[in-house]
Amino acid sequence: MNKGFKTPAHAIGFYTVVLIFAFLTLFPLLWVLKMSLVSDTELFASPPTFWPESVTLKSLTAGKCPLVGGIKFPCPENFQTVFIDPIFRAGLANTLVIAGITTIICLTIGSMAAYALARIEFFARRPVLSLVLAISFFPAVAIIAPLFLQFQKAGLINTYWAVIIPDVLFALPLTVYLLVAYFRELPEDLEDAAKVDGANIWQAFFRVTVPLSIPGIVTTGLLTFIYAWNEFLFANTLTLDQQAQPATVVIPQFATTYTTDYGAQAAAALVLTLPLVILVLFFQRKIVSGLTAGATKG
Amino acid sequence: MSVASETGLRKRQQTGVVSGAWRSIRGEFTDPEKRTAYWMILPTLLVVLLIAAGPILYAIYLSFWRVLPNGQTFIWLDNYVTLFTDSGFWGAAINTVVFTVASVGLEFALGLTIAVVLNRGFVGQGAARAIAIVPWAFPTVVSGIMWRLMYTDQVGIFAYLADQLGLVTGPILANSTAVLLGAVVSDVWKTTPFVALLLLAGLQVIPGDVYEAARVDGATKWQQFTKVTMPLLKPAILVALLFRTLDAWRVYDLFWSMTDRQLDSLSVYTYKFVRISQLNLSVGNAAAVLVFLSSLAIAFGFIKLLGTRAQEA
Amino acid sequence: MRRGVSRREFLKLSGAGIAGATLLGGCKDLASGFKSASTAGPNTLVLTKGPDTSGTLQKAIDTFNKEDHPFTVKWEVASADTGLYFDKMRTQFQVGGGEADVIGADVIWPAQFAANEWIEDLSDRFTEEMQSDFLASTIETSMYQGKIYGVPWYSDAGLLYYRKDLLDKANFQPPKTWEEMLMQARKIQADEGLKYGFTFQGAEYEGGVCNQCEYIWNAGGDVLAEDDPSKVLIGEEGAVLGYKTAQDNVLSGVATVASATYKELESLTPFIQGDAVFNRNWPFGYSIATGGKAAGSSLKPEWVGVAHLPTTNPDDEGFACLGGWDFCINAFSDKKDEAWEFIQWMIRPEIQKTFAIDAGFLPPRKSLFEDKKLLKEQPVMELAKSSFASTRPRPSVNPFYSDMSLDMAQSFNDTIKGDVTPEEATAELDKKLSRIASAAENVFNVGE
Repeated sequence: MNKGFKTPAHAIGFYTVVLIFAFLTLFPLLWVLKMSLVSDTELFASPPTFWPESVTLKSLTAGKCPLVGGIKFPCPENFQTVFIDPIFRAGLANTLVIAGITTIICLTIGSMAAYALARIEFFARRPVLSLVLAISFFPAVAIIAPLFLQFQKAGLINTYWAVIIPDVLFALPLTVYLLVAYFRELPEDLEDAAKVDGANIWQAFFRVTVPLSIPGIVTTGLLTFIYAWNEFLFANTLTLDQQAQPATVVIPQFATTYTTDYGAQAAAALVLTLPLVILVLFFQRKIVSGLTAGATKG
Repeated sequence: MSVASETGLRKRQQTGVVSGAWRSIRGEFTDPEKRTAYWMILPTLLVVLLIAAGPILYAIYLSFWRVLPNGQTFIWLDNYVTLFTDSGFWGAAINTVVFTVASVGLEFALGLTIAVVLNRGFVGQGAARAIAIVPWAFPTVVSGIMWRLMYTDQVGIFAYLADQLGLVTGPILANSTAVLLGAVVSDVWKTTPFVALLLLAGLQVIPGDVYEAARVDGATKWQQFTKVTMPLLKPAILVALLFRTLDAWRVYDLFWSMTDRQLDSLSVYTYKFVRISQLNLSVGNAAAVLVFLSSLAIAFGFIKLLGTRAQEA
Repeated sequence: MRRGVSRREFLKLSGAGIAGATLLGGCKDLASGFKSASTAGPNTLVLTKGPDTSGTLQKAIDTFNKEDHPFTVKWEVASADTGLYFDKMRTQFQVGGGEADVIGADVIWPAQFAANEWIEDLSDRFTEEMQSDFLASTIETSMYQGKIYGVPWYSDAGLLYYRKDLLDKANFQPPKTWEEMLMQARKIQADEGLKYGFTFQGAEYEGGVCNQCEYIWNAGGDVLAEDDPSKVLIGEEGAVLGYKTAQDNVLSGVATVASATYKELESLTPFIQGDAVFNRNWPFGYSIATGGKAAGSSLKPEWVGVAHLPTTNPDDEGFACLGGWDFCINAFSDKKDEAWEFIQWMIRPEIQKTFAIDAGFLPPRKSLFEDKKLLKEQPVMELAKSSFASTRPRPSVNPFYSDMSLDMAQSFNDTIKGDVTPEEATAELDKKLSRIASAAENVFNVGE
């Protein structure tokens, strides 16, 4: 237990710092959870209550959330509001489609580029690497107006593609960089062996490198997925209604003309974030190693 | 040697260089491996050129025109003049500078502290790391709305706490400076753990025997930190600062949601002009070009500091 | 550490994703998101409008669909945030019109849409005879260059809510001037220990512009000249005085400076919780304030009073800002006759009455303000009759109104926060609005 602490006082001091850090990090999230659970009266109580007084077993099961098929589960009322809202449901589905396709496209074209950049010495290697790096510093607002005009002409406004295309652009640098770093770490022997057996580069890439790199590809895919899941600027500008708009755009709209339903917004925020939190907790080691790859191998 | 023969020699050398370059360019495409490499990067290159380079060139082009519903006229740099004489633009620029300096500075200081504290094996490290990335995964727009609610004068928990502690007089959201600080605080909440993780990863690759050697030489803890840790951590620090500075400089989602479009960052200002206003599309494009150039300049500055390491990543 | 994910796990993950999307979407056809295509059938008329929590609009549409019409109506729910709704509509028009045949449009939209020929000229259908029963301001705001483009659906007017019980106790009449209001609020605040004297909407948004216009009009000023929309009056004496009044209300401490962050709900909340003496709000607040615990109000219904907004000088004419919604017909629609049939049905007095009673959508028809049954069901109509009679539209006849509104909202917001003086703010705004007005003159020939 006492992993190398000089004295118990050191250990206590150390864990106090860790706990404060954890508390400050979690507090706003817990507050959002509280907002989603309390009654409207308590939500608007002034001064605010610290402990959710209006939350009882009864209030936690007052609503009915249709989750799967026709089955309904008891849930807090704000969650019912969110789950029966067809626009929000469509928004979640759209988010999933947009983030999923963005991830697939990024991984497909990004892994090919990363392989070439990691394995093959060619003249354009350096310039292409710099160009891709430059994109990660590119301000999205700088291209929003031209992009809008182009998509307008191409009839892409309010389709998934309108969001997927810019999302792919902004997620690609990360994909390429992480995969270049990953491919460089892989031993070349197996590919060389395949090449000796008569495989060309494509075959070596698809049959040897890709299967060996699944862990790295999953990590990269997760980060791309999270980026696209949370993207707002393009989605808000280039989609119009439930046909294509993702949940990040829908959440601010839990409101009527004059009033805002903060409880429902909080509930919707949690619903939207929950899948990510699960992914993050499940894959935290991978995500952290992916995120920090640039810093340590840089 | 005569001058004539000297120039002749130089000429021959130059043609040699040219034909050498030509040979190597041709070699790029006759060598099957290199040719494949070009096919492999082609989709990525197309995405970058069509979706980034094309639109930014179009934005630059538009920034020299006045575009109105009834047509467009070429006006040279008038849009830039309009921009530089607009107090709103300077307000947005100042907000962005303050936000960038304050949030990146705080995130770095706090992140480094946390990283140093956590740079040791301890029970619950996995849990601490997991907690640290949850705010990072929370959608910024949504967290902005939630933070705004926590700052409101009637029901906001932070407004209440700040008032009880005597930190503020009057409502936070009615004071532009306080709103800006509020944006800094919520950004610090969201990204400090991320910075800490980046730096922690950097710390963990520093081999233990370097410290051993320093200790043998009689260095104090503080000397070890400044003389050993910091220089070895420099690349990780620069990478973290580069990404954070550019993210902060381009901030849009947080200002859009947390300040309810009442406080402009450069990006929000640009967006209002290009998408909401009907009159200022071209002035907005001039602003977009400036945001682009300034981001580029910041990135360039950092990469100079980093040396060639980023290129090799 | 390469505790890898196997290919099978990877496949499982993607499988779960696809299944999740299908489940979440429920009835939604995901494929429709990949192309921009119409989903409405040939016999379906599409109405677009923000959400209606009372359910009245859906009920009205159901009733219409049950009647014998050659087509049915479908409601596409738009964004509740009017600003976002406007941006999306404009985008929709820019990319070819979209699906909506009938547009539920905020009263400030018709001129902007009409100037770009995005909505249909209704002059031949919506005759002057039909117009005569509607409040003059609601007709005025639907006009652009002498033609009418919108049909008033329901209306809003800015009102002064007050604590009738506390004013009675202190022996006060509802205030006629702002100064009187400050005096009364101070007295009552001191006697009763209330936190707020007056709350209003000063946030940087369209509702802030409504408050701003009321301050300006009720001080004898105006934003644009009524007879010449290319002439900017914001720098003139009346407008400056209006700004001063607003700033004084805040500086005096009676109106909280937090009003600079308030929209409708935030400013109503202290009033219905019994913490404020006065509140400027729209008629929707009446049913909440008198709705008791269920509506979140701690006031007794008889404590809630409604009066005309105060003026700066006792002999100024008092105005209320017109809010509300119109019907417009999409110029790109191929069902214009059907659209008109539906609109005519929706503005029938008996349908408007249903909306007034069930949804609190107050009718723009003068005759309905005399309807005994309706006045009994919606007492706020009786109380606010004079305010409705004196409603004025915002300067939305300018086709660049959304640009004007951005600048106006910012200028007003800065003023009540105390960042600038009324003189500086109005001078700056005058410059900006003049630039917009001259652009409107050049582009759309607005003005003399």
